[in-house]
Amino acid sequence: MVTTGSAPDFDERQFEALYHEHFGFLVAVAMHKFRVPESDAETLAHEVFLSYLKDPNHVIDLKKWLLGAICHASRYYWRVNNRMPPEAATELERIDPATVNILESLPNQIAAREALECLSPRYQEILRLRFFEGLSVPELAARLGVKKKYAAKLLTKCLRRAETLYVRKGRRRLRRR
Amino acid sequence: MSEKVVTFERARRRPDPARVAEFAETARRLQREREESADVVARVLRETPPEEWPRLATRTDLRNSGALNRLEAEVSALLEKEPRHALLLSDLAASIAETLPPDSYPAVVLAQLRAHAWKDRAQALAYIGRYPEALEALDRAEQQLAFGSLTHDRAIVRYVRALTLQKVNRFEESRELLAECSGVFRDHGDSNRYLFCAIAEGIQLYREKAFQRAYETFAPLVEVARELSDAISEARIQNNLGYCAVELGDFRMANIHLSQAMARFIDAGKRMEAIRTERASGRLLVGKGAVADGIRRLRDARRLFLMHGMYEEAGLCGLDIVEALLPESPQEAKALAADVSEEFTNGGFNERAHDALAYLRKAFDENQASAEIVRHVQAYIASLATNPALEFVAL
Repeated sequence: MVTTGSAPDFDERQFEALYHEHFGFLVAVAMHKFRVPESDAETLAHEVFLSYLKDPNHVIDLKKWLLGAICHASRYYWRVNNRMPPEAATELERIDPATVNILESLPNQIAAREALECLSPRYQEILRLRFFEGLSVPELAARLGVKKKYAAKLLTKCLRRAETLYVRKGRRRLRRR
Repeated sequence: MSEKVVTFERARRRPDPARVAEFAETARRLQREREESADVVARVLRETPPEEWPRLATRTDLRNSGALNRLEAEVSALLEKEPRHALLLSDLAASIAETLPPDSYPAVVLAQLRAHAWKDRAQALAYIGRYPEALEALDRAEQQLAFGSLTHDRAIVRYVRALTLQKVNRFEESRELLAECSGVFRDHGDSNRYLFCAIAEGIQLYREKAFQRAYETFAPLVEVARELSDAISEARIQNNLGYCAVELGDFRMANIHLSQAMARFIDAGKRMEAIRTERASGRLLVGKGAVADGIRRLRDARRLFLMHGMYEEAGLCGLDIVEALLPESPQEAKALAADVSEEFTNGGFNERAHDALAYLRKAFDENQASAEIVRHVQAYIASLATNPALEFVAL
């Protein structure tokens, strides 16, 4: 790993190696620590690499410099995007389109209950809160004590799991007949 | 619990090959331009009179990142010695940076090049006292930095803004900026600039006459500078500690710190800085009533200025001594004023300086010489460096 500002002596492969070595780390920091969407996190990481090239000789500890740069870049990202822009908030509220059909496919509440019965108690509780009690995603997140984005992910996961188990249950029934 | 665990897919994440290629290509190109431009810039500047520097912006061999980096270093080196030349050079750099085609470098790199050119221009303007223009140039610099990844560059620009704001007594704004910059430099592991911020905070306290707090701010920084092997910063910190000690009335400590500052400047090969420190400390000691100590330091400084052929600074230092001698040894002061006048005449300096010194000699001849007249003449001669056409006006 390069820890001193010796960039002017690199050859091209070393530049590439440097990029490959730190890229995943920078994107992971932007995504998981600052919740920057993946494609934007990759752009931020790329810009951090490019900005490093201006004065590599003055970078004493490359890893620390890159980490500082990506953290500040991520904060700046949210500052510019007004911390939580309306689109992002909508995004958190929005259910994965792939899962909307699941609800439509459930002919009535009985079917939904049947689907629910296939799930673990925790998953049942999540879907019940969302679809029977009508909690919004932020309200659900607050109830579960998790972040909004994680609640939205969890919801999608529950719906997919319900779909899988419900379809499997239906097939078993058909086989029995 | 496992649902809350975020998988760390570092190993599996692959960067876009086009971006890797852009990075490698940019890196290679910047490296090549740095290597190629080092000699070119030095030669071109040597062969061109300073007043014609801004016209070099159309030269193709200067229109690249390497030349701009080199010019940035040259501006920095000239700031202390020849601030007007630094300004001419920063004009050249800003012209080049602003007229580089938008697709000549990746947008982030181009933004950095432009921002640093404007920052250098701001520094040069601030050095010659054109603060409003310096602040405008800093606005231009910051406008370029509309990328999240350029926080470090933004902090460099804001650090210069903080120093400029100190000069116009906007201390609160300066303090806020320094705190912000300090955090950014710390997060990037930029220990040198982190130290500069701490020094600037100490200087601000000194300007606000909080001498004890300024001393306490500077004191731990000596060790930090030593750890960074930054002899120049260490010298400046010792110098500042010396100034604080004088203000606090502790002349023994002041002497220790100022002597340390001189020694460190000499270690760092900054002989001129060392002599200037000697002169400044002499003036300070005289001002605080330690006249004998102060005159001794001023005489040493003047001797060294003359030894290095720096007649203008030797003359100004001579006038410091004239003022200090005036109350107790007017005849000695008169003789020294005559010496200084002669040095200026022989040195071929600005004719207007002769008028001012002739006015001083006349005042001595008529027994009208006073500290006020000496200071007036000295301030006028010093101002000729930045305003050579200024007319002398008698008191």
